[in-house]
Amino acid sequence: MIAAPGEPSTLLPPMTDEALDRDIFDQLFLKLADIGPDGNTVGDQGFRPALAARWDWASPVALVFHLDPRARWHDGRAVTAGDVAFTFASYTDSTIDSPDRANLSHIVSVEARDSATAVFTFDRRYPEMFFDAVYHMRILPAHLLAALPHSQWRTAAFGRTPVGDGPYDLVRWTAGQDVELAADSTFFLGRPHLRRLVWRFTPDLSVAVTQVVAGDADAIQVLVAPDNIERATAASHLTLYRYPGSVYTLVTFNLRANGDRTTAHPILADVAVRRALVLATDRARMAQSILRGHGRVPPGPLSEMWMGLWFSDIVVPPFDTAQADRLLDGRGWKTGRDGIRVRGGTRMTIHLAVPSSSGMRKAYATLLQEELRAVGVEVMIDQMEAATMQDRERTGRFDAAIESWNTDPSATSNLAEAWLEKGPSNFGGYANPRFDSAVGRALASASPGDSRRAWHDALATLASDSPGIILSALDNVAAVDSRVSDVTFRPDYWGADLRNWRIRGDRLTARDRAER
Amino acid sequence: MRWLARRSLSAVATLLVVLTLVFGAIHLAPGTPFMPRGDRPPLDAAAVARLQARFGLDQPIAVQYGRYIGALVRGELGESFSARRPVAAMIADAIPNTLLLAAAALAIEFLLGLGISIYQGIHAGSHRDRALTNLTLFIYSLPTFWLGLVLLLVFGERLHWLPVGGITDPAIHDSLSIAGRAVDRIRHLILPAVTLGLIGAAGTARFERPAVIAALHDDYIRSARARGVGSRRILWAHAVRNALLPYITLAGLAFPFLLTGAVVVESVFAWPGMGKLAADAIATRDYPVVMAATLLAAVMVIVGNLAADCCYAVADPRIREASR
Repeated sequence: MIAAPGEPSTLLPPMTDEALDRDIFDQLFLKLADIGPDGNTVGDQGFRPALAARWDWASPVALVFHLDPRARWHDGRAVTAGDVAFTFASYTDSTIDSPDRANLSHIVSVEARDSATAVFTFDRRYPEMFFDAVYHMRILPAHLLAALPHSQWRTAAFGRTPVGDGPYDLVRWTAGQDVELAADSTFFLGRPHLRRLVWRFTPDLSVAVTQVVAGDADAIQVLVAPDNIERATAASHLTLYRYPGSVYTLVTFNLRANGDRTTAHPILADVAVRRALVLATDRARMAQSILRGHGRVPPGPLSEMWMGLWFSDIVVPPFDTAQADRLLDGRGWKTGRDGIRVRGGTRMTIHLAVPSSSGMRKAYATLLQEELRAVGVEVMIDQMEAATMQDRERTGRFDAAIESWNTDPSATSNLAEAWLEKGPSNFGGYANPRFDSAVGRALASASPGDSRRAWHDALATLASDSPGIILSALDNVAAVDSRVSDVTFRPDYWGADLRNWRIRGDRLTARDRAER
Repeated sequence: MRWLARRSLSAVATLLVVLTLVFGAIHLAPGTPFMPRGDRPPLDAAAVARLQARFGLDQPIAVQYGRYIGALVRGELGESFSARRPVAAMIADAIPNTLLLAAAALAIEFLLGLGISIYQGIHAGSHRDRALTNLTLFIYSLPTFWLGLVLLLVFGERLHWLPVGGITDPAIHDSLSIAGRAVDRIRHLILPAVTLGLIGAAGTARFERPAVIAALHDDYIRSARARGVGSRRILWAHAVRNALLPYITLAGLAFPFLLTGAVVVESVFAWPGMGKLAADAIATRDYPVVMAATLLAAVMVIVGNLAADCCYAVADPRIREASR
């Protein structure tokens, strides 16, 4: 029994990229191949066969997948290359409008050469082309979905009663309560050890943690807050597992005026001021105080999942209030009688948006307010509900905001979306042609080495421009009942090896043995 | 009859005003639907615009309101933006759970509250009466979420006597006998119902105590005593019966409050009822669900009041006479 902080919206994979939805449908549907334990996304090294038993390159831009002939849908039909071609057509359809559509933009076509062979053709060669081909799409049953009008996919009944090809089959979804899956005893890659999986829905993380600590649920994949970790540590029936986190937290500066994207921000448009704010922030002390050893300060907007990009030579301005004072003095910001700096009648006041639902980010806001006050910067904390904050960011109505971003295994999409001048999540209006050019090189390069060097240049440019204050990259800590063994976690998807978890016969409880 | 027709007309007008105000408020509130949950970047403007157009949210608010009222008249509540289901089906799922919780809480509130008030009425002025007055004041002033968390911590997390959330144990519920399923359901019901009912019971006791004391000292009670009626009969057949009259109004208001006001309790105990549905819908700006929850709450308050007035008229002949 897994405690889930929420309820999925649908289990039809192309229609959602929410973490909880994915947690469940990834037990129901298979990809052609999946990334391995090392998390590599470049080339095809380390990828594990799934629906495809093997693959080969027909040309530098043509990738051929040979499907495992044993693969079956849960209704007994064979999985075919026609299903693969149908899946690609569905994910890229403008009416279906899948959140993963943009990730497939370099794939020109997917064709079924025969019933067991699917051929992917790309518009060019680049390091993550194999990752793009296999990671974003869960193969769908054409025989069940082809007749469904695309305009109805969003609310399709299939999304609540899916028929997949994965290790588990759906038993029931009781709205507001739980989803139950049963192991497919004929699963071609091996029968799952856990006979049943139940996701029990709770309103939020703290209720989910309570259920695990009280023994009403057996597992929670991420405890997030140090308080939750300490509660779980104190529960003798739980074992805690630490694995690289996928979340990083930062203060994003709005480089444009609050509410007016055509004008530069009177304070934060100045790179020297932004560097001063970074210098005035003791990020290591804050991380220690708030995360209590369950996270660290990265050299850029990077999660622990992207450790390959934590370049040791990228210099993030260290904590140095004297240097911060000098920079601010040098830019004409003079300390007023109340200790707050003023320039030309403009007071150095920054409104910091923070979601009221996040205890961690509220704690960061309080410490930032205190630390920046020491160099004459007044920080006004604007607590607001998450929906309001997202709306403010999307429309540029903020000075600075504390954000936490959950990342996928590839830095490609996340870094580009958040910091390219035209990036859809570049809410602060950061723009530097050098950064854009470096990212362009990283994405276009056919060589992993060249791509890595380009990412280095991009991150060095970001560090120098200080478009935000990088606060922390969180560890993931999971809690699982100690009777469950063989527990492993893959950073991008904690449940990737769920079918290999087991409970030894002598440790089964009455609940484990219960039959429907 | 004329009185009932007048009240019904006024109820419809009240309903329309409430719906109009809430429709305006939720649409004017900052934030839009279709925002991702968790730590994901918000959807880009183009994706949001496409979804808004699909659900008619790109139209002027007056047009949206007209369409909403039109659909409502046809009995259509719309489709949830976040759950991607018909709102009517979501309400149908949530209502039985909320009714069960509200009924259990109301029973605790009524039986415990009335019991305490009768005990206090009989022992008015004693040390035990004063102690109970202070205790009920203390419980009545407790925030619901705090009481819920304390009960959950003590009886769920520490003592493991009762489950900490949900309405059943999904791992075993289907494998149990009918009696076993009933026990499983009751075990899950105890903590949220006690949380909700205990505070109401304290309020009821404080509300009813003066009524019981007044009834016990009324002239007709003295007459009954003079006629030699037994003290037990005096208490239950005369004093308590008359003291219950004001409680009818209280119960009429309390029931819809329990149906719609259990937001906190339902969230703390992961109870999938109307309160949780409404709270989630407000947080995600799921307009159709917010409007349906509002409609239901308003209807319950109006019907609750109407029912209380009717019961009052039935119970008290003076009111029946006055309304003719």
